[in-house]
Amino acid sequence: MNPSDSDASRFRAAPTDRRGERDLDDLLVHVARGDQGAFEAVYDRLAGPTYGVIRRVLRDPAQSEEVAQEVLLEVWRTAARFDPAVGGAATWVMTIAHRRAIDRVRSTTAAAGREYKTADVHTPHDEVAEAVEASLDRERVRHCLGSLTEVQRESITLAYYGGYSYRQVSELLSVTLGAIKTRIRDGLIRMRDCLGVS
Amino acid sequence: MRLLRHDLHSLSGAYALDALEGGAERDRFNRHLSRCQSCAAEVRGFREVATAMAFAASTEAPPGMRTQVLAAAARTRQLPPEVRTHARPKRARAQLPWLPWLSGAVAMASIAVAVFFGLAQSHTQQELNQARAQDQALALVLSAPQVKVLSQTVTNGGTATVVLAASRHELAVITSGLPALPAGKVYQLWLIGKTIVSAGLLPAATSGQTKPVLATGVAKGDALGLTVEPAPGTTQPTTKVLLALPL
Repeated sequence: MNPSDSDASRFRAAPTDRRGERDLDDLLVHVARGDQGAFEAVYDRLAGPTYGVIRRVLRDPAQSEEVAQEVLLEVWRTAARFDPAVGGAATWVMTIAHRRAIDRVRSTTAAAGREYKTADVHTPHDEVAEAVEASLDRERVRHCLGSLTEVQRESITLAYYGGYSYRQVSELLSVTLGAIKTRIRDGLIRMRDCLGVS
Repeated sequence: MRLLRHDLHSLSGAYALDALEGGAERDRFNRHLSRCQSCAAEVRGFREVATAMAFAASTEAPPGMRTQVLAAAARTRQLPPEVRTHARPKRARAQLPWLPWLSGAVAMASIAVAVFFGLAQSHTQQELNQARAQDQALALVLSAPQVKVLSQTVTNGGTATVVLAASRHELAVITSGLPALPAGKVYQLWLIGKTIVSAGLLPAATSGQTKPVLATGVAKGDALGLTVEPAPGTTQPTTKVLLALPL
């Protein structure tokens, strides 16, 4: 009922598959039962990609940190709603993270100027660490993005990393809406096969 | 029609990347997803691609963030699981057999279920899923073996009725006839044991009745408390306890 045990290390030795998916699923089950140690382990595993993808979309470090904190706290709060049958824990968390970033983009576009000013105060960030971390994932994704046609690649990166809606992507690339939908979907199918996603 | 469906289906990629503009389009696709298994499978695969892209963008989080998030988690109550009938077939099937031997519970359960369904009608489409999940959670409490039904008058008027499923550490509360509160005040429920924990707020009453509130984490020897607190509720009771119902 009241777990004061915060020893995250006992979870780190557990066996993992690619990117530790199965292990993460187990951890989330413990998180759902109020295990703070398990939550620490989840944090250590997912804070980087959570913050990273949000920052990629929002750009502003201060805002990104705020949204990342919200997302990770939501993971704690709603862990019991995680359903391994629907997808892995990493996917669950990244889906929440990206959606939250997009919500922020869509709700604050009007206030962009003001947001930008506050951003400058917090700018310093270790770009080197950023480059080193997760270089393996980066390589795989870069390789697979490289296998797409230019329009496929551009629409996917503009949509996912740029946070643009497919209508905006269609404007940016001067391609019809119908074609953009198809390019994104075809591109993702290729990515899926290239990355070996089941 | 076929064209339309194909049109909708081709949105799976944009949907998985959160590139629909929300509102009507996303709702429409969500409805489509609930009916189209192959689309759901496709979206799942695309989300995994998106996850790989997120990991590829991984960046060291700001140093202070860890402490803040962990501290926030330590003081944040977690949501109970959302119970889906298809994922819990055994329990779902056990929904009605308790009826014959639970004479006291029958009236209460019918009230609770009737009140719930009455209110569910008035829910918007978006709220419906949440409402349904709550209903299922409630059904589990009502159908748990050996539920206890407790009722007690509230000191400033009205009645609170509790269905306690001790085996699940859960209870459902409904009230009737509680005096209406001025704006900015809410009725808040408490689980009072070794510590006092908020068990949620009573929703606004409809025809004098409040829709069932589900409380989790009920421990042996707890009592259910009720106080009037400033909206949106407090972390500890600040006013006189209007109800202390031993569970």
